[in-house]
Amino acid sequence: MTFSHPRTWSLSVKLPLTITAVVVGVAITVGMAIVVQERDRIRENLEEKALVIARGVAGVAYEAVLRNDYWGLYKSLQSMTAPTDPDGNAPSILGGLVLDTEGRVLAHLNPEANPVGMPLLGANPEQRKWLREVLEVNAPHIHIAKTEKGGYVESIVPVQSEGSVVGVVVLQLSTEEINTRTLAAAAIIFGIAIALAVVGSLLGAYISRRMIRPLNALASGMDTVGRGDFTRLIPVKPRDKDEIGQLVESFNRMTGELAGKKQLEQQLAMSEKLAALGRIAAGVAHEVNNPLGGMLNCLDILRKKPGDEALVQRYLPMLERGLNRIQAIVQGLLAELRTDQADAWGDGGCVEDVKDLIVAEIGDRQIQLLWSNQINESTCVNCGHLQQVVHNLLRNAVQAVGEKGTVAFRTQIYGDKLLIEVEDNGVGIPEDVLAHLFDPFFTTRSSGTGLGLWITYRLVTRMNGEIEVESEPGKGSLFRIKVPSRAVAQSLLSGAA
Amino acid sequence: MAGLVTRRRTLALLGASMLARPLWAAEEERPVRFGLTAVVVRENLQFFERWRHYLEQRIGRPVRFVQRRSYREIMGLLQTGEIDFAWICGYPYVQKREPEFLELMAVPVFMGEPLYSSYIIVHRDNHATSLPDLKGKVFAYSDPDSNSGYLVPRYLLTGTGALPDSFYRLTFFTYNHAETVEAVANRVADGGAVDSYVWEFMAKTRPAVTERTKIIIRSQKFGFPPLVMRSGADQELKRRMQAAILGMREDIDGRALLGELSLDSFSQANPALFDSIRAVAQRMIEGGKP
Repeated sequence: MTFSHPRTWSLSVKLPLTITAVVVGVAITVGMAIVVQERDRIRENLEEKALVIARGVAGVAYEAVLRNDYWGLYKSLQSMTAPTDPDGNAPSILGGLVLDTEGRVLAHLNPEANPVGMPLLGANPEQRKWLREVLEVNAPHIHIAKTEKGGYVESIVPVQSEGSVVGVVVLQLSTEEINTRTLAAAAIIFGIAIALAVVGSLLGAYISRRMIRPLNALASGMDTVGRGDFTRLIPVKPRDKDEIGQLVESFNRMTGELAGKKQLEQQLAMSEKLAALGRIAAGVAHEVNNPLGGMLNCLDILRKKPGDEALVQRYLPMLERGLNRIQAIVQGLLAELRTDQADAWGDGGCVEDVKDLIVAEIGDRQIQLLWSNQINESTCVNCGHLQQVVHNLLRNAVQAVGEKGTVAFRTQIYGDKLLIEVEDNGVGIPEDVLAHLFDPFFTTRSSGTGLGLWITYRLVTRMNGEIEVESEPGKGSLFRIKVPSRAVAQSLLSGAA
Repeated sequence: MAGLVTRRRTLALLGASMLARPLWAAEEERPVRFGLTAVVVRENLQFFERWRHYLEQRIGRPVRFVQRRSYREIMGLLQTGEIDFAWICGYPYVQKREPEFLELMAVPVFMGEPLYSSYIIVHRDNHATSLPDLKGKVFAYSDPDSNSGYLVPRYLLTGTGALPDSFYRLTFFTYNHAETVEAVANRVADGGAVDSYVWEFMAKTRPAVTERTKIIIRSQKFGFPPLVMRSGADQELKRRMQAAILGMREDIDGRALLGELSLDSFSQANPALFDSIRAVAQRMIEGGKP
């Protein structure tokens, strides 16, 4: 059997346990205090009883003592000490006797062993001392004595006749009653304590269940919210108007608001998407319309002057350029549409393939390409997407550098992410351009379509990645891409396979 | 209104009937007082209640039993006329009275004869078999005026040559034969003298007590403690009471009461029945030599 650390226990265990422990502790402490007090009370009660009985005998005995009425004394001793209730639940009388001032027995509850008229046998020195003292000071005395057979309360009361002492009554009550009655009281008290403990723990279990159920619901609710799932959210039912109830209410309010916000965001994203689509459509229309206008003019002029060879020579290249531009726009759009295609997983070597394309792009320009690639065949990546992203960024970097400069390509696998950086020391990007860098059809170059970075952004997003730009005009730019762990985990798995 | 008148008339009638009662009724209604002593076992109050009712029916007057601790008190009450009847012991009866104020009314018949004796008893475990064995011990008498409980045991002791006043270490009176048995049974006294009738009666009713005692001496027989009446009492009352007592053996109720007392009957007594007690008392006065 193993025990876990109490700190790891559930509240539904700890709370009832604590309540039970507290109830039991209090009940036992109070019970023990009561038992001790009860024991004192019973002892006092017994002493008082011993004194009362002895006084009762002494009160009626004086005449009999004076008249040497041994039988009368014996009878009053016997009747005073006889059990009064039918259960025989009277204090057990160990001894009762009447002595005259000389210490002779006038009456004894055990007459066989203590014949009347004889000196008291078996009295111990302490008892003799008390007897003498009572005879001298003429005042009752009570003490508790112990023998090997058990303790007893001994009361010694003088028998008085007109102020003078004519004898003493000695009464011994067994102290066993103290123990038996204390035990009985203790049994009752501890029975109550156990009953209280049971009730307390049941109550504790009930209270903790009541407290912990909303807490558990809150925990699972928070878990759901943490996963960003607002659809399966069930409001926690508040049971009480206490702090937990308030917490539950605020949690419900919070999740409600979060869900509302999420919905609002989705609506916003949808309308943004539609707006973007509109912008694309407008962009396409505009971009296609620009060359179309010139081309239609050219065709109009050529139709008016069908035989003019010089015009044909002049306008055909113009028509070709216009159509080429339209083709480029359409191809860009098609490339964007292709991003919807299924992922094409492959080994990391495909990233290395981009290097040749870029070297060809650089041609004989004085551009230094710093290549540091950690992604190799042992890593698996989303080849199609990643190749296009890397190619786009490197082409942009080469264009930004112009005739002379440096372009750096670095990749790293760290933790659960791929880190790809493309850096150049080209013209840099002005701040107002940075804000629209990833918008479609946004370009600073006359020949650009404004689709390259937009497509790059879309691809990175599709891979659940992030893209960052750092740039300073005149000094260069740095594009940093992080593709999250899932891709790596999957790549590692299939790499191992 | 009618109701009021009726009530007034009823009240008037009631007053008239009270006035109409004869004056002698007051005398008739005064209870007849009957003294009881230690010769009978007096604990059974219900029995005396029944006996009282029985006597009331026979004599036509209320009866009250009067109990006193000692014979002497009952004798005093007889002398002063506070009681008219009493059940006393033979020893007080034979004591000289000047002038005589007692008349014998009846004597109980016990086990076929109007006689009883004195038992000297000791505790069952006591090895004593005779009076000399009790020398220096504690002895219980019943009453200084008792025949069986005082006179006879002292007389028996003088018969052994001992002096009764110094023979025992201690003596005491229980003023009740039954309690003498208890004192011996509880070993408060080593020996005791008891009325044979009381001991036999207790042997039937409270055997647990008598079983703890044993009889070592049975004395000669004496006249059973008699029922007496005051000479100065109303003659008619004396006649009716004596007739009631003597007639108890004649009817069922009386016989039942006698049965409870363990007696055969109450019979007419001859004062000569108590001559033996008188003789013992005389010898004790003369010096205790038999």
